[in-house]
Amino acid sequence: MFGYYFSLAIRSLRSTPIMSALMVAAIAVGVGASMTTLTLNYMMSQNALEHKDDVLYAVQLDSWGPERAVNNNSEMPWDLSYRDATALLRSNIPSRQVAMHRWGGPVSLEGSELRPYTSMIRVTTRDFFALFDIPFIYGGAWENAADESPQQLVVLSKKANEKLFNGEDSVGRSLNLNGEPFTVVGVIEHWNPSPKVYDLNNGHFDNSEEMYVPFGLHRQLKIQSWGNTNGWKSENIAGYEDFLNSHNVWIQYWVELESAQQKEDYENFLTTYIQSQKAEGHYPRPLKFGLTRPSEWLVVNEVLTDDNRILAWLSLAFLLVCVINAVALLLAKFLRKAPEAGVRRALGASRSAIFSQHLMESGCIGLFGGIAGILLTLGGLSGIRILLMGYLDQVATMNWTMMLAAIGLAILASLLAGLYPAWRISRTTPSVYLKTQ
Amino acid sequence: MLEIRPILSALWRSKIAALLIALQLALTLAIVSNASIIVGERQDKVARPTGMPVEDIITVMFQPMSQNYDIPAAVVADRDLMRSIPGVIEVTHSNHIPLSGSGSSSSYYNKPNQETGGEGANYFQVGPEFLQALGMKLVAGRNFEPSEVQQVGLNDRLDANVVIVTKQFADALYPDGNALGNAIYTNRSSHPIEIIGIVERNLGSWVNWSKAGNAAFFPQMLVIDGTLFMRYLVRTEPGQRDAVFKQLEEKLSQRDPQRVIELKTLEEQKDRQYSRDNTMVKVLIAVMALLTFIIALGIVGLTTFWINQRRKQIGVRRALGATRAAIGRYFLLENGMIAGTGIALGMAASQIANHFIVSNYSQPTLPLPLMLICATILLCVSLAAALLPALRAANISPATATRSI
Repeated sequence: MFGYYFSLAIRSLRSTPIMSALMVAAIAVGVGASMTTLTLNYMMSQNALEHKDDVLYAVQLDSWGPERAVNNNSEMPWDLSYRDATALLRSNIPSRQVAMHRWGGPVSLEGSELRPYTSMIRVTTRDFFALFDIPFIYGGAWENAADESPQQLVVLSKKANEKLFNGEDSVGRSLNLNGEPFTVVGVIEHWNPSPKVYDLNNGHFDNSEEMYVPFGLHRQLKIQSWGNTNGWKSENIAGYEDFLNSHNVWIQYWVELESAQQKEDYENFLTTYIQSQKAEGHYPRPLKFGLTRPSEWLVVNEVLTDDNRILAWLSLAFLLVCVINAVALLLAKFLRKAPEAGVRRALGASRSAIFSQHLMESGCIGLFGGIAGILLTLGGLSGIRILLMGYLDQVATMNWTMMLAAIGLAILASLLAGLYPAWRISRTTPSVYLKTQ
Repeated sequence: MLEIRPILSALWRSKIAALLIALQLALTLAIVSNASIIVGERQDKVARPTGMPVEDIITVMFQPMSQNYDIPAAVVADRDLMRSIPGVIEVTHSNHIPLSGSGSSSSYYNKPNQETGGEGANYFQVGPEFLQALGMKLVAGRNFEPSEVQQVGLNDRLDANVVIVTKQFADALYPDGNALGNAIYTNRSSHPIEIIGIVERNLGSWVNWSKAGNAAFFPQMLVIDGTLFMRYLVRTEPGQRDAVFKQLEEKLSQRDPQRVIELKTLEEQKDRQYSRDNTMVKVLIAVMALLTFIIALGIVGLTTFWINQRRKQIGVRRALGATRAAIGRYFLLENGMIAGTGIALGMAASQIANHFIVSNYSQPTLPLPLMLICATILLCVSLAAALLPALRAANISPATATRSI
């Protein structure tokens, strides 16, 4: 029966090519518009740390001043000060913990043709790789000691290793970073989560850094953050040491807490820490800290903007208009074929048979509309990549899930559009049409 | 003679189809009017004056390869080199690039030793040539003297003695208009920084900042411990930018190959900052155009169908003496009534949708005139779409009435 209805549907569509094309176009444009925005929103809401969502937490401390507002959702600064970060690092409660920030500097290689270039660098503690589950191709992370005393070691991304050492095992080799020699200790696999959930400070969809250096280097290299540094307090900062001891916030902090007990212990630790700080005259606001899972971190950092949501609503309304349009056209078309349906009814076809046959026809329109809609979506996404000048290159792409979703949405929309017209035509009284024959 | 009664009774018999068209028009009006208000607001935002001849400015960043690099000497040598290139009007060093999305801000006060009630401003540390190099207009006071330029490290607390501010910032701190000659103060400081000049405007680093346009320029050169870099802003004669760009790149790396040099045009950086707004504008315009096109096609399709269904009826009317104009008018009137209903519904829907957008996504409210303009345009589109089938209907010959009998 299915195959027969399908061939009937195709025949019927071919008999009125212009009207069929109009309906396919309506569905395709509607699906194209909504899938473009839905794909963007879906890709922008991805959580690269999903698999560790119940053990990872972003740490926030409310070290801000009472009179100075923090203009974000969490009402706490996103980052920690160096003094707080180093104090928290002394805790042995979390299974793993990372204090880090973005940095950058000129890179060159002795005796190489390569022109010096500026590389983005992450200054981090060694747990970074294990906490975020990043596998190594060669070597491994530095030893714990490097996070406290200066050791000029570097872990390269796969891309940087290809650029500098042609992808060979570069462990033990040396490169020049910011005017200093650094020794390669490891090379990691390609790792570029988008959105950049581990650091949403500057550009949610920026690429991951190409080099990673130990946290113990700050004083030796007088490292400043290549990201936001926010202060709220007037402090007498006369040199780098004063900067490190200041209340300026610029360090991202993550912990891995594997059990409820561990989390409770850590909460107690943070409470005690803040109380001790209050005793010294710091932390003037009421005691508050934040431990936020990656999925919630993406929400409070507003990775998905209001513009994205408005566009999603608009495009769904657009799809609705296209569906209503298709209802009107299908109705017109089916009613014109009413005599044919009348004859079939008279020859013994049941109402449900007529109904299924016509619904099949609208389903076919949906199928073709969906395929055309995927093409339009791909066009729409590449348009958006051009308009956003590379800002969203990583997320403005369609995967198989979204392609299947596009076909599904198109068929659903067209079946919905076909329901009423198919029902109307199935109620045809055969006698009316037999008379006129 | 208007055939309102017969049209109504005919419509009543195919009320579902008529209702579907009206519904489409209603939804379309709601979408188009709300989209156009957002488009208008974004276009106004992008069109704000920046205070600079953006298309004539090139930005340069350099990073030396060694820690012991004499940045101040390099700045002098680079500046002289760049100035000698034909087509270059002026060069200044700067800690940040306006319109780049990256910058520094601080709170400033009009009285010493204050902690609250300050006004935020985007600050730049620039050379004495910055007015010329940024192509800004001084509306009051004077420019910096070369002797006023200080060298500061990032962590040196060395407040400048003089400052040039934008008019917007001057008026925010001194609403009475007596900013020139008065002083500004940083947080809890008693050190006065005299306002010696006021420039017409500068949008500053962040186009999306609520205080964009509050900017202060200090005569300083930032020489950072540890991470070394320096930025230049180069203004060229109109039309010379791309030619100068190539020469700059070449000559700067020739003068000192042991550093990383990055050149960009200010125009590119501005476009990048506004890319979200521009995307929103273009996507919304595309949505409005496509939607109008789709419903126009729908109306053509459905009207044609109706007319085909009523060919015989039209033929009978023609045979009974109805003129072609009367037939055409009948269908246009019919369409007008459907569209009118849809648009009335649409106006209500527009307001409801706008209310939702305003309260959830902090967007502007929809003014009545704009909604009426959208409604009129939509009505015209609907009538135009009905016109073609109506003309064809008018051409149906009276003989049709007799043919099928």
